[in-house]
Amino acid sequence: MVNKIEVRDLNCYYNKRCVLESLTINVIQNEILSIIGPANSGKTTFLRTLNRMNDLDATYCRKGEIYLDGEHIFNMNMENLRKRISMLFAMPIPLPMTIYENIVYAPKRLGLITRKSDQDAIVEQALRDASLWDEVKDRLNTSAMKISGGQQQRLCIARILAVNPEVILFDEPCSGLDPISTAKVEESMIELKEKYTIVLVTNNVKQASRVGDKTAFFLMGKLVEIDETDKLFVSPKEKQTENYITGRFG
Amino acid sequence: MRKIIDSAIETIIFICGMLSIVFVVLIFGFLFKEGFSFFRNFGILKFVTGHFWYAASDPASFGILPLILGSTLVTIGACTIAVPIGVMSALFISEIAPKGIRDVLKSLIELMAAIPSVVIGLIGVITLVPFVKNIFNLPTGLTAFSGSIMLAFMAIPTIITISEDAIRSVPWKYREGALALGATKWQTVRRVVLKAAMPGIIAATMLGIGRVIGETMAVMMITGNAAHIPHSIFDPVRTMTATIAAEMGEAVRGGMHYRSLFAIAFVLFAITFIVNFMADLFLGKNKNI
Repeated sequence: MVNKIEVRDLNCYYNKRCVLESLTINVIQNEILSIIGPANSGKTTFLRTLNRMNDLDATYCRKGEIYLDGEHIFNMNMENLRKRISMLFAMPIPLPMTIYENIVYAPKRLGLITRKSDQDAIVEQALRDASLWDEVKDRLNTSAMKISGGQQQRLCIARILAVNPEVILFDEPCSGLDPISTAKVEESMIELKEKYTIVLVTNNVKQASRVGDKTAFFLMGKLVEIDETDKLFVSPKEKQTENYITGRFG
Repeated sequence: MRKIIDSAIETIIFICGMLSIVFVVLIFGFLFKEGFSFFRNFGILKFVTGHFWYAASDPASFGILPLILGSTLVTIGACTIAVPIGVMSALFISEIAPKGIRDVLKSLIELMAAIPSVVIGLIGVITLVPFVKNIFNLPTGLTAFSGSIMLAFMAIPTIITISEDAIRSVPWKYREGALALGATKWQTVRRVVLKAAMPGIIAATMLGIGRVIGETMAVMMITGNAAHIPHSIFDPVRTMTATIAAEMGEAVRGGMHYRSLFAIAFVLFAITFIVNFMADLFLGKNKNI
C-alpha cells in the first residue's frame, strides 16, 4: 500500500472561478482509482492537473501540492512529468501518421529507442499489450486515421505503453465506444494495473464499479467520499453518494 | 416560380464556376496559336536551348536559355530566402507569439502583401542595389541576388498568411496528444503540427513561387536585364517576364520578334503549369497519411 500520488489541499481555478476546492486524496500504487461524479464536478480538471496539461491554459491557476513518489510535481520538468504520468483522452487522438509511426513517435522523441532494430519489437509489444496487434499487424503502415474508433483508442493506449509511464490517467476513455470496445478497454485496464497505477475518470458509474479498486465521488468541485469500490457501492457513507450511484440524480 | 429561380441561380453559379476553366483554355489556345507559328519557323529546340537572345539584330537570334536560367535563378534564390522565413514566421505567429503581438504582426504582414511591386522595385533600386554592390564588391548591384531578395519580400506575406492558416487549423487535440506523451513543445511542433499542416504549407509555397515566377516589374528594375547566361547569382540576369514586358512595345505586330515573345509566354505558362501539377501530385500523395 504505497502512495504513488499524494494530493494536499489542491485548489484549481478557471478565470478566478473555483472548480476544485481543497482536495486531498491519495492514489495507491498498482491500483485503479475511479473518479465518478456529474458534469462540472472537477474530475477532468483534477486529471489534467496531475500531468499539468492544464498549464497550457492561460485562464487556469492552482494552489496546493501534488507529490509523485514524494517529489513535488510542480517543481518537475513538465516533459519528464508527462513521461511518467501519461494521459488517455476521451476522444481517440491518433496523430496524423501511420499506425507504426504513432507508436514510435514518443519513444523516439524521448530517446527510449537507442537501436533501430529494437523498434519493431517495441511496436509489437505495445500493440499486443493493448490487445490490438492481431487486428492491425498486416497494416502497420496505413494511416492511423483509417482504423475504427475503438481501434484508435486502443492504439492510443499502445502509444502510451510504448513510453512505459508509471501512472496512466484515463479521461472517460470509453465515452465514444460501443459496449464491446468498452469491454476490451476495461479488460486491458485491469491487466495494466499489474504494472501501472491508474486513475480513471468516468461518467459511467457501472464502469467504476467494474474496474475500480477505490472509487471517489466528486460533486461541485469537492471530494464527497472515497472508499474501497465494494464498500462505496454497497454502503456509501454520504447521502449524496447514494443518490448519485443509485441514479436518483446526475 | 420557385423552381425557375432555383434553376436560374444554379445556372449562374455553374457559369461562374466554368469561367475560370474557359479563361485558362482560351489563354492557352491563344498562346499556342501565336507561339506555334513561331516554333514552326524557328524550331522549338533551337528556341529553348539557344544561348543568345538578339531579337532586334539582323539576322536575329532567338535563344531563350539565358532568360530561362535568369528566371530559374531568381526564383530559386527567392524561394530559398522566402520559404524558411515565411514558414518560421507563421510558426511564431501561430504557436509562440502572445495575442497582442500576433494581431499586430498579422495586420502588418497583410499590409506588406498589398505593397505594389513597382514600389518594392523602387526601394530596391535605391537601397538594396548599392548595398549589394558595396558589400560584395561587384561592378554592379543589379544582380540576380538583389532580385531574389526583393522577390522574397513579395512572396513572404503570401507564404506566411497561408501557412499560418494551415498551422492554426491543425486541431488542438493533436498537440495535446503529443504533449501528453511527454514530447516537448518543439518536438510536437516539428513532428505533429508541421506534418499535419504540410499540405497547406506546400500550397503556400507554391503560391509564393507562382508570385515570384510571374513577377515582372520589380525584377525588371533590379536584376540588370542582361540577356546572357549567368555564371553566378551575382551576375545580372534577365527574366522571361521582364523580356516580354520590355520588348512588347518595340516589336512589330505580327513579326517574328512579336511572335517570339508569345512563344516565351507559352514557355512560361508551361513552366507554371508543371510547377502546379507537381504540387498537386505531391499533395495527393500526402493525403493518404
